[in-house]
Parts: sequence; structure tokens; C-alpha cells
Amino acid sequence: MTLAETQALFQEVLTSSVPVAPERIDACFAGTPDLPAVERVAIYADMYRWRLVEALRETFPNLVRFLGDETFAGLAGDYLRRHPSEHHDVGQVGRHLAAFLREFPDPERPDLADLAELEWARQEVFFAPPAEPVGSAVLAGLDAEAISRTGLVLSPALQVLVLAHAATPLWRRLEDGEPPDPPSPDPGPVAVWRSGFDVFHAALPHDEAAALEAARSGDSLATICAAFDDREDPATAAHGALSSWLDEGWIVSVGPGPPVSSSDREC
Amino acid sequence: MTSPRLDLGHGIGLRTTHFARFMAEAPLVDWIEAVTENFMAPGGRPIAVLEKVRAEVPVVLHGVSLAIGSVDPIPERYLAELSALVRRVEPALVSDHLCWGTHRGQYLHDLLPLPYTEESLAHVTSRVQAVQERLGRQLLLENPSSYVAFKDSTMTEWEFLAELTRRSGCGVLLDVNNVYVSAHNFGFDPLEYLRGIPVDRVGYFHLAGHSDKGKYLLDSHDHAVPVGVWDLYREALRRFGRVPSLVEWDDAIPPLEEVVAESRRAAAIETEELPQVRRLAS
Repeated sequence: MTLAETQALFQEVLTSSVPVAPERIDACFAGTPDLPAVERVAIYADMYRWRLVEALRETFPNLVRFLGDETFAGLAGDYLRRHPSEHHDVGQVGRHLAAFLREFPDPERPDLADLAELEWARQEVFFAPPAEPVGSAVLAGLDAEAISRTGLVLSPALQVLVLAHAATPLWRRLEDGEPPDPPSPDPGPVAVWRSGFDVFHAALPHDEAAALEAARSGDSLATICAAFDDREDPATAAHGALSSWLDEGWIVSVGPGPPVSSSDREC
Repeated sequence: MTSPRLDLGHGIGLRTTHFARFMAEAPLVDWIEAVTENFMAPGGRPIAVLEKVRAEVPVVLHGVSLAIGSVDPIPERYLAELSALVRRVEPALVSDHLCWGTHRGQYLHDLLPLPYTEESLAHVTSRVQAVQERLGRQLLLENPSSYVAFKDSTMTEWEFLAELTRRSGCGVLLDVNNVYVSAHNFGFDPLEYLRGIPVDRVGYFHLAGHSDKGKYLLDSHDHAVPVGVWDLYREALRRFGRVPSLVEWDDAIPPLEEVVAESRRAAAIETEELPQVRRLAS
């Protein structure tokens, strides 16, 4: 057999849901009377499954708590057959699990996809590149013209998710070892961010999430603030949001925004 | 691309369980080995811990995903991230494994054995040369622990490894526990393995524990170094002389002091076996 043929067969032994015929294994691999080739390659097949399921367990600890070890292992097996690892970091193997759970939802727990998305985002944020937050005084004293010209650069360790269910209380209960509540259809945005080496998440008002999206898109401060126009006191709401972003370290740079347009205005 | 053996002393692996200790105090050993892929992410706690440790003692980067023997091309993404980490950390040594682990774009996340044939040798030689050229430095390859062999193999693992070092200029990370485990699983003489490895190509030793699964030994890294591996380490010291050692402990990891104690035992055994090269500090 060529090296390529040997590796293709070995891969099939490890990943196929259908056992490879013993005669094909015996034609390639060498065994001994006390440990035949079929048993020897099975050592690798067992380790392959164990290693990848362990990686998923580390990434989705609360999904594991919800489902239990056995059910999670079954889910992981189904998932890995459809989404084998394509990254040198085994920790990346769960990248598509939330989408997989949306594609094949548990009818009784459609919120598990949101839980998985939240846990995946927490991992991504944990390993995001570092960036030094700006000081809280950086926005003080900007005049109207500056506000129409100035944009924000948000931390790479900040993500805004839009979830279909209330995944954050479910995550909290599981984290605390409490039984989960029934699924709660409560669509809403959630911020996930890192501060120091710790990861946090919190539900966000829709308009604040829109403001963050505007900031991420490179819009001006004026456009960012316009996201709060439906509030009773838009200026106070925008000021409060920007202050909290500064406090949480979500803003890492303040600089030129897009060209001034007629819609830009002071906030 | 050969390099002289470095006098690193005796080290341990950098594991998440001990991150807080490494952040709070200087390492209690001569050097630290970091699993390359665990520190490739640009941010977060792991790389911060590694950079703190690197400022205090030498660091060796030890990869598990290069898959030097795979027929798949080595992904550019991997090489780019490896190169960036090497530039950032400036490690004393860079090592990976004599194995394959990817096929048709899929990562199998294991250190899978190669058939030891002329085809494999030519293939691995060319890839080692390409990686060394890319990194601008020597690569060391670790002998894997194995559970299955191939009917097509035409040479032993030690013959393959020795010839690979000759053709490519790579070094050897000699895992003493892996020699012990594979010798048990295949019934060869571990001393014959040691005798087959060129003395001047061994850059450092790995020491670790394994599990007895009845019909075979599993390279589990979840125990202290067993007596048999310590005995083989003594034999390795007699053949290869003073070589840096690294204690691996990856599962059921005990408190830091227990891992450090294993490293100090390695240093003590070295002193017993090679008293003429006892370190001034000891």
C-alpha cells in the first residue's frame, strides 16, 4: 500500500460509523496472537472518539450538565460525523455545534442551541487578541463636529449575540448546579466579553446592541447615539451606555469615523 | 540544519492546572515545555502565562499537530501560526512528533504511527526540511508510543529515525517512556532502540508515566514515572550523556510540587549516573 492509501484506511478505521472489515485491517496492520491488529487499531479508534468528546465537554460544560454525560456523548458522536475537526487546535472542534443544534433541534429544548452559542462565544472571547481599553475621559469634551467625525473601535474580546431564547438564566442555573427552567422564548441580544482573564456575559437592550453594531461597523458616534432615539431621554440613555462601555473596557480606540453625512448629529 | 545540544537542565510541562502558581512565582525548575497549540491563540491567559514564564526560564515549544508524516500538505495557517509563536516566544528548542495526524483536510488529533518504508522516509525528510527552512531553525522529532505496526514496514523505528536525522538534519526528542511502552507493545529490546539512535542528535528526553491495560501499555501521562522508565532513563544517560529532561504529566495532574519532585529525581539520577558532569550548582 502507498502511504496515502495507508493513511486513508487508518482514517476510515478511526472515523467510520461502520466497522472496517477485519480482512482489510489485517492486510495493512501487523498484530500479534495476544493482541491482533483489529484490537490494536481499536485502541486508536477509542482514543480518537474520547479525545474529541473531551474537547467538546471542555468547551460546553453547561450543555454537558444539562444533557448528562451519556446523552452528550451521543450528541457529540452525531455532531462529529457531520463536522469532523478541521483545525489544528482540538478546542476549535465545537465551532459548528450551535448551528448543528439549530439544524437538528431537540423539540422539547430548542434553547440548547442558544446555550451552545453562548458557551462557544465565551471560549472565543477568552482567547481573543488582547487590546488595551481607552480611559473613561476619552470622550469628554467632544464637540458636535467631532462627534459626527469620530468612531469607536471595540475590543476584539467583545461579542454581541442575538439569541432566540433566554440562554443566560439557563446558563446561570446550570453553572450553579440547579435544575434548568423550561425553555423561555425570549429573543434578545447578549454581550459576551473578557475583562482581564475572566469572561462575562449579560443581556443587552435591543437599542444598545444596535448601537454596538453601529460602532463595530465603523459608524460615527452620532450614528451610534441615534440607536437610542426611541428612549424617553435619548441623550441620557446614550451617555449611560457609552459610560458603561468605557467602564467595562469595551472601547479600545477612538478615532476618525466615516465621512460626515447629513444624518449625523450631536448626541 | 544541526544544532549543538543545549544544557537546559531539567524541566516540566506548563499545564493549565498550575497557571496560577506560575503567575505567582518563578518556576521551580530549570526550564519549561509548552504544548505549542495551546498557546497559539493571540490573547487570553495561556499566552500571558507563557510570556511571564519565558522571561524567567528557557521555554521549549512542543507541538502535537504538525503531522509531519501526513500526505496532506502542511496547512499554511498552521505554519504561519507556528512561525508567529516562535518569533514571539523565542524558544530554546522547537519539537513535534514523528507521526501523522491529518488526512483529506481532517485533523484526527492523535499521534498516529507511520509505516517505516523508504516512501515514508523520503516524504518525511522533505517535509522536515521544508519546516526547518520555514522556521529557520532545527526541528526535533519525538519517537511516538505505538500500539500497531504495518506489514509494509521495511525498517525499525530507530533505523527510520536515525536515517531521518542524517538526511534532514533534524534532532531527536527521545521519549524514554515511549520507547518503554512501544518495546512492551511490540516485544522489542528497548536497549536496542537506544543503541540505534545517534548520540549527537538527541536534544532532550521526555519522561512520563503510562497505564497497564493488560494486553498493552497505554501512554497515558497520568502517573508518576514508573521504575521501569527510570531504569531505562539511566541506560539512556549512559549512552547519550548529559541530556536535558522533561517530565510530562497531562492527566490526573497532581500539585505542582509533585511534578517538580519528579523533575528533581531526574536531576538526581543524572548526577548518580554521570557524576563527572555534576553541575556546579548542585
